[in-house]
Amino acid sequence: MSDQNINRPVAGGLAEQGQNPGAAAQLSALAGGIAHDLNTVLTTIYGYTEQVLEILGDDNPEASEQARRIISAADRAKVLTGQLLSLSHRSAQEKVAVRVADVIAETIDFIRPSVPSAIQIRRMLKLPEATVMAVPAQLFRIFLNLLLNASQAIGDMDGTVTVTLDRPDKGTGAGDGEMPDSILITVRDTGKGMDTETAARIFDPWFTTGRKTGTGLGLTVVSDAIKELGGKIGVDSEPGKGTTFSLWIPSVFFGSLPEKS
Amino acid sequence: MIVEDDAALREMLRDALEKRRHTVITAADGREALARFRPSIVDLVITDLLMPEEDGLMVIMKIRELKPSTRLIAISGGGMAGPGSYLMMASKLGADHVFSKPFLPSELVQKVKELLG
Repeated sequence: MSDQNINRPVAGGLAEQGQNPGAAAQLSALAGGIAHDLNTVLTTIYGYTEQVLEILGDDNPEASEQARRIISAADRAKVLTGQLLSLSHRSAQEKVAVRVADVIAETIDFIRPSVPSAIQIRRMLKLPEATVMAVPAQLFRIFLNLLLNASQAIGDMDGTVTVTLDRPDKGTGAGDGEMPDSILITVRDTGKGMDTETAARIFDPWFTTGRKTGTGLGLTVVSDAIKELGGKIGVDSEPGKGTTFSLWIPSVFFGSLPEKS
Repeated sequence: MIVEDDAALREMLRDALEKRRHTVITAADGREALARFRPSIVDLVITDLLMPEEDGLMVIMKIRELKPSTRLIAISGGGMAGPGSYLMMASKLGADHVFSKPFLPSELVQKVKELLG
């Protein structure tokens, strides 16, 4: 396993922004990478030891006992790798200033190979410098879920997923009045859409649209994560025409573009 | 079919499954897996998720297209977004079962038996 792959989802944006490129982040990535590789090795140790135990059967109790001690030792190592991963993830749970466009780009790069080639993914990011305080991995999961849902809504058909990043229009949406300092991110698909009843339940835990895949938790996770960021999420959908998810997230920096009047 | 970039784990899993009289083919990454996949002979695929070349998520997507009835098991050990994220995505893409490394291979062998009925 290459370090490049392990770091792929979220590390690039941080380093490029110079927000948290220091020793803690590098140590966190290193700990996660080591734990990952050790977990692969441990699986091999478990497997061969189980095979030895099977070969021994009841013929050699002493050797069987020693093989079981190998498994016990591997269990202890598993606890240690779990602690390493926990350390790595805890470090990765701190809110930092994140440029939203970077995370959107990273998520699209990540998901693109898994999306059918008949589906275009477009981005219209009018605020490339817009910055929010968030856990990068959490933001990544939000976009991952929404992009994956959008792709699955289109399925095998030709279609387009469009991601936009802009200021909310004055006088419309949750960005006005209540959240004047928010950015508006939309994820729009040209898929099969939903009726009003389905759209009203789409954020309920365990609710699914009946597709074979999915637990029904994805949009609940997204909704909770947006609330954690102090933001709001909305959905607008029409059967046969597609679905648009809108996210309003408080921003600490909008970039140099003038505000909408 | 076993798709895993770690050679030692790949061979161990092959041994464990061949001892249960399964016929096993292996691939070291997603690209090799898709090149070697034959719908007429592959009933089940065990794939790692983070691999060089084509990753396991791509393998799941493509194999779901090539032969929707293929049983799929995803295995993963981590990544900066956490192992849960990749395994969750694998489930969303259609994996029948996921294992987070390290796991007991005997449990995977049992799951293979269940999935192949």
